[in-house]
Amino acid sequence: MTVATKRSLAAQVFLQALLCLELLGLSASSEDLFARRFADQIHVLAPRLHFLTGKSLERLKDGATVPFDFQLSIAAGFKNNFIGHPAVERFSVSYDVWEEKFRVVRLRDFRKSAAGLSALAAESWCLENLLVPAAGLPADKELWARLDIRTAEPRDPVPSTADSGISIPALIQLLSRPPHPQQDHWTLESAAFHLADLRQ
Amino acid sequence: MEIQLHPLVAMKLVLIPLLAASALFGQGVEPANDTQEQATDLNINSRYTVESVDLNNQHHYRLSTSILNEMHRLIGARLNDDAVKRLAGKIRGELRAHEVTFKLLRGGNPNSIKVLFEVETAQSNFDLSIPKFAYNSREGGTGVGQATARIGENAFSLAGLSDGDSLAERYTGIQAKYERLSLGSDRVSMGFEFDAYHEQYTGATLSALASGVDASSLGAGAYRSRLNFEPSATFVLAAPLTLTIGFSFEQLQPQLSAAPSESANALITTLRYHQRWIDSDDTNQELDAGYYLRAATRSLGSDLAYTRHAVNVRYALVHDHQTIEIALVAGLIYGRAPLFERFVLGDNTTLRGWDKYDIDPLGGNRMVHGSVTYGYRIVRVFYDTGAVWDQGTTPEARHSVGVGVSSGLGLFQKGAVLLAVAFPIRQGRAEPVFIAGMNF
Repeated sequence: MTVATKRSLAAQVFLQALLCLELLGLSASSEDLFARRFADQIHVLAPRLHFLTGKSLERLKDGATVPFDFQLSIAAGFKNNFIGHPAVERFSVSYDVWEEKFRVVRLRDFRKSAAGLSALAAESWCLENLLVPAAGLPADKELWARLDIRTAEPRDPVPSTADSGISIPALIQLLSRPPHPQQDHWTLESAAFHLADLRQ
Repeated sequence: MEIQLHPLVAMKLVLIPLLAASALFGQGVEPANDTQEQATDLNINSRYTVESVDLNNQHHYRLSTSILNEMHRLIGARLNDDAVKRLAGKIRGELRAHEVTFKLLRGGNPNSIKVLFEVETAQSNFDLSIPKFAYNSREGGTGVGQATARIGENAFSLAGLSDGDSLAERYTGIQAKYERLSLGSDRVSMGFEFDAYHEQYTGATLSALASGVDASSLGAGAYRSRLNFEPSATFVLAAPLTLTIGFSFEQLQPQLSAAPSESANALITTLRYHQRWIDSDDTNQELDAGYYLRAATRSLGSDLAYTRHAVNVRYALVHDHQTIEIALVAGLIYGRAPLFERFVLGDNTTLRGWDKYDIDPLGGNRMVHGSVTYGYRIVRVFYDTGAVWDQGTTPEARHSVGVGVSSGLGLFQKGAVLLAVAFPIRQGRAEPVFIAGMNF
């Protein structure tokens, strides 16, 4: 066995150990939401969350456009002490009946879209484009992230504005209401974290 | 004091408000706004061309021409998600459906898609309507009020009516009907109808009955009431061709209570074809044809034996704002049929302008009639011609013309409203007949 081979093997073992630790971390946590830092923004990962399912998925596969409303809030100090402005977005998802792939459009900015996505990739794309600025968050306090997702009802149109796709205040107001009984909705909370500990 | 107007003066008096109404209402027609670029782009499928637009179980529903036109306008264009949603909402409103959704399916080539609207009817619903209402300055009023209820595949209806238009007699009463809309298959339905009517006759009819005119072909004299029990089954032979077979057990109570009742029990058969074609954005055609047979036979316990055949064909062509409609009806009766089976002309739909009691107060056992209507926007002009006679007599062709406003008023869903004045074409003084109503 050459030195190079030994080093390669050691690297593989190290990576596998890291992966095991990561998996251990996931399974040890009761939470399904993980905060990550991307430059000066915070976004979340939710590996177990699948919202392109059930009736929404049926509607998509029938060719309908299904909008989803997202809200990402950060609490500091204690769990329900939400600070700053939450990140609020409406994503419109559609399904190409010929290519059998999804397309997502972020309504705040129509130019921000992605097509040719699998269901998993479409779900991830939505979360990657839901960003909270890290600038205003306290570095010395424990933080919690909370993610709310719900399918938008046709009876809940959000007024659009000239400069952006939708009116964010109107969307915030909409999300502040409890979901309709027949509206699909998901709520996830992260474990406590510190800003400095977040992986980039 | 009787006021008589010269026909030309009467025509002017009617035409002026009609044309004014035409100008007023005709301007209200606006093209639908079908473009909303931003919303359309949200659906990835908006890059595909719509190959066809259909409704599931289309033969179950009757959509208005405007909805059919709107469906047709989607074909050949890129998918407009918003336009499709709006159309689904309109179909829902028109059919009073619980929900109307749409499904996109792959088309015949990779750049095309098919749009399929799916109608979800409410499991249970209740509706009140006036399926027919008309006023004729000679005959008086005719009206039907109806309550319908639907529970799953079972439809119930109860109607109260007074009809002085379609028969030689005025009949007033109720119609109760049960229908099983699907019997194992969507292609088979069955129904049962019960009718109870009280009859009224004009002096002209009673005099004609008393004089014994048409006695050789008339199966019963005047009767004061009529009961009908009618079970039937309808089969979709090949959509839109349907066949209905059933029985009609009719009991006639004579005007003299001491006299025994008479029965007219018949095998009934209806073969019907109804189709619409949308040829281009501004042109569509409709054909409605039917053959109706009622064969009363002693083997069904009938006191009266006769066979009544009737056919009707109606063709309509709508192009842009212009409409032309041609309607033909004909019928003949073998044997001695009761008064309610006999053919009459000179009502709200045939030989308009004539008085049916002037033509023949007892109707006839032979009849042929044709009608041509031309329409521009809401204005209609029509020409009717026809004859009703008894076998062995010489038929006399009669003609009439009229003008009115109809459809496009936007007040009623199907737009089948008519305000008209009609004149018989004959020598001497011709008094106009005013007709107003809907769905007749």
